[in-house]
Formats: sequence, C-alpha cells, structure tokens
Amino acid sequence: MGDGGLGEVPISLILRIAALSVALVFVQIGVISEVPVFGVTVDLSPLLVAFVGLMCGSTLGAVTGFAVGLLVDLMLVQTLGVTSLVFTVIGYWAGRLRELRDPQAALTPLLVGGAAAATALVGYSVIEFLLGVDAPVSFELLRQIVLGVAVDTLLALPFWLLVRRVLDPALPDDPRRRRRRAYTTGGLSPLSRA
Amino acid sequence: MYDKTVRRRRAVLVLLVALSLILLTAYFREAPGGGLHSVQRGFLTVVSPIQDGANKALKPVRDLFGWFGDTLHARSQRDQLRKQVDRIQAELIVKQTNERSYQELLKLFHLDNQISAASYTPVTATVVAKSPNIWYSTVTIDAGTSRGVHLNDPVVNGEGLVGKITQAASDGAQVSLITDSEVGISATVNTSGVSGIVQPKVGDPNDLLLQYLPANSTVNPGDYVVTAGTVTGGGESLFPPGIPIGQVSSIDESSPYKAVNVHPLANLHNLDVVQVLTTVQGSKAQRLGHVVASLPPGSQAGSGGVAGEGAVASTGGGG
Repeated sequence: MGDGGLGEVPISLILRIAALSVALVFVQIGVISEVPVFGVTVDLSPLLVAFVGLMCGSTLGAVTGFAVGLLVDLMLVQTLGVTSLVFTVIGYWAGRLRELRDPQAALTPLLVGGAAAATALVGYSVIEFLLGVDAPVSFELLRQIVLGVAVDTLLALPFWLLVRRVLDPALPDDPRRRRRRAYTTGGLSPLSRA
Repeated sequence: MYDKTVRRRRAVLVLLVALSLILLTAYFREAPGGGLHSVQRGFLTVVSPIQDGANKALKPVRDLFGWFGDTLHARSQRDQLRKQVDRIQAELIVKQTNERSYQELLKLFHLDNQISAASYTPVTATVVAKSPNIWYSTVTIDAGTSRGVHLNDPVVNGEGLVGKITQAASDGAQVSLITDSEVGISATVNTSGVSGIVQPKVGDPNDLLLQYLPANSTVNPGDYVVTAGTVTGGGESLFPPGIPIGQVSSIDESSPYKAVNVHPLANLHNLDVVQVLTTVQGSKAQRLGHVVASLPPGSQAGSGGVAGEGAVASTGGGG
C-alpha cells in the first residue's frame, strides 16, 4: 500500500474509512454546517479526504475523495460530480505527498489540511465560474475563502488526531512506519544494536 | 511489478476524474426531470428519514454551539429590539387606521380577491441538512411531495422569505435559499413602491442586491423590501406579494440603474423550522403558478397584477 496501489488493502481499513466518511458527512451537514465560526462555515470533508490520502496512499485517497464527494453531492442535491472531482484531486495529491516525501513533521497535518481546504474552496469557485454564474459575485467571496481556509487549518490538527486514531489500528505494517517506530521507541534503534 | 502499480494508480485517477467530469456534464445538461436528477431525488427519499433521525439526535450538540453564539449577541440585540419596538408601536397605530381604509377601498373596487400569502397552505418542516459550500446556499427539509410540497413553492419562516423548493422527493425537499446564486426574486420597496429584482451576492451570505430600480426612485436605508408578486420570466417561482425579504442597508448610486444592498430579515445561518407555502389542488394560486411556469422567458405576470389575473381568467379559472 505504500506504493499507492489498492492491492493489499485490508477490509477492516476500508470499513473504517467508509464508516468514518458516512458519519462525518452526516455530522457535517447536520451540525457543523449550521454553526458558523467567525462568519464562515467549517467544512471538514476535504480534510478527511486529505488525511485518508496522507495515511493510506494516493489510490485510496482518490477513491475516498470520489466517494465522499459523490455522497455529499447526492445528499445535498448539488450538481453531481463537482465535489467528487475536487475531492478526488485532493485525496490523490495528499497520497502522492506521502508516497514521495513521507513528511513526518508535526505540522504536516496542519499544512496538508490548509492546502486541502484551499484547494476545495478555490476548486469549487473555478468550476462554478466555468459552469456560469448568473448572480453578481461579491469581493466578500475572497474573504470567505481566506477565512474558511484559516478556520479549517486551525481545526486540522485535532481532526488529524481523530482520523489517525480511527484508521491507525487497521493500517498494515508499513516498513517505513516500522523503521520510524524503531527510531522513536529507542529499543530497536540501529544505535542500540551496534 | 512497480510499473504495474504505477499504471494501476494512474488508471484509477484517470477513471475517477473522467467519471466525475461525465457526471458533471450529464447532470448540468439534463432537464430537472432527467435520470440523474431522479436518482438524486430517490437518494434523498432514502436518506431523508435517516437525516431526520440524525438531526434530532444531534440537535442538543447544535443547540449548545448555537447557545454560545446567541449569548454573545443577546445584549446588543436586546437594546436594538427595544428601540425597534418603541418605533413600531407608534407606526402600528397609524398603519391600523390606513389598513381599515385600504380594506374598504379594496371591497369598493372589487379588488379583494387578489392572491396573498393567506391563499397558500403552510406546511411546517424541519431543516435536516445544510450545505457547507459557499456556492450552494441550500438546505434540506423533512417535508416532501407526500405532504403537498412541490417544485418552486415559496419557503418562509417567522422572520421573512427564506427561499424556494428546487428539488422535491416524497419525504424530503431541497430549498435554495434567497442567497443562492440561482435564485432571483421580483421585489418592491415597501415605502416607495418601486420594483426591482433581488439577487444574491455570491460569497456574501449576509447581503442581497436589489437591482434594476429606476434611477430617479427614492430608496432610503432602513426601508423594507417585500416580494412583488410578479415574475420576470417562465420557470421562476411566483411568490405571493408582501412577504418580507430584507431591509435596505446601503444604496449604490454608481450604476445607471439604481441598486441597493439588502440585508435579509430571515436568519439564514440558523434555520431550524420553516414553512413551505403550498397550493391546494385546483386553487387560484396553483392555476396561476401553472400559467407562470408556462410563460416564455422575459414575460411578466403578477399574482395580484393585471397580467396574471388576465391569464387565469383566460384559462377559465377566475377568482
């Protein structure tokens, strides 16, 4: 799975991702969307897709993005395909980041969350402009996008902890993760073995 | 082995992007009664009861968050409302006298059969879902066609106009709010009687734009804007006249046609219970709605106006 393929994905991981996605979409549209923070609506669904990509790789990230996007579009009776397209790109990109760089800094989820929120908000806007907007567009839109990204970024770290807590037990043992754990736990460090 | 994995990964990405684009194009091009829209309505029917249950279960959480926000604004709102009540009490006395004269004149000139909000049957519904996307100002409600809700029915709450029905399934419906980019409403400034079209300003959920007012019209900040009871073309929703939409916040004199900014009266951030104004089968309001729906774009009809009345009379309805 570290190479981004879907070949050896455990069923338990798929079930956990599916359960988390469905639960989040219900909570998002039922509660979170109705509580504005600093005048903007918090959207955790792009963060979920990005974090799945960051933990599970590009293919699973893209598939999760497509599925979550489709679910959102179906449940909110929006133009089908818009959210799927944006979320597929976010999931794939986050997965490729893991596969190519495997970033381990503590602030990585923060940056990935911010980038995912920005991609989602800008992506929606670009697609809507391409589809044609009948109403006048306010400069306030820019402020809404900037504030939306800022609020999502603030929430990225606690949300990352939640996603990791749910998915981590089902993740297969990746050699890279094992190596990192060895360094951090000390007991299996190459230094102690030497 | 590595090449195979890379090829598979890329194939999945291309497949998903292509699928999204196909869905988007097909959905965008098809009519509201098309296959994908039907699938979406079917899905809405299935998930509506679940959404309703989840909404009830999660209501305490939402109320808790809402309580913090309400508490922060309560004091300033209270002071503002006290001033407003004092002013309105004085106005009410004058208005009641005028209203009595007005009703007498309506009867005298046989104009008392006009359609108003009272001609509709309100169906109370709970908001069960809200879009987080700034481009879609939509909510989902737990009332659908099984309770008489139909496409384009106006949706109101205690404060004023909320939006209109844009998709209806048997047990649920989608409401496009007045701040949604696809909604436009013919409106009148209550004090001066000048009419224009209220449109949202995409990205600004607290502001609407009343456009196409005559350049020499008099509009003042604080004036109330209400539905005009007319439409500007076929396919639009015919709102009954006199439903409050918002209050003029500022005036833009720069454009050749005067435009004013309108602050919506309904608190669209915190919608819990709404009412759908449904029409009774065979009623005058419903017949007029059908006439309006069949109009070609650019035609104008009114629920209380001459064009609308004439159209109904010609179909044998009358009032």
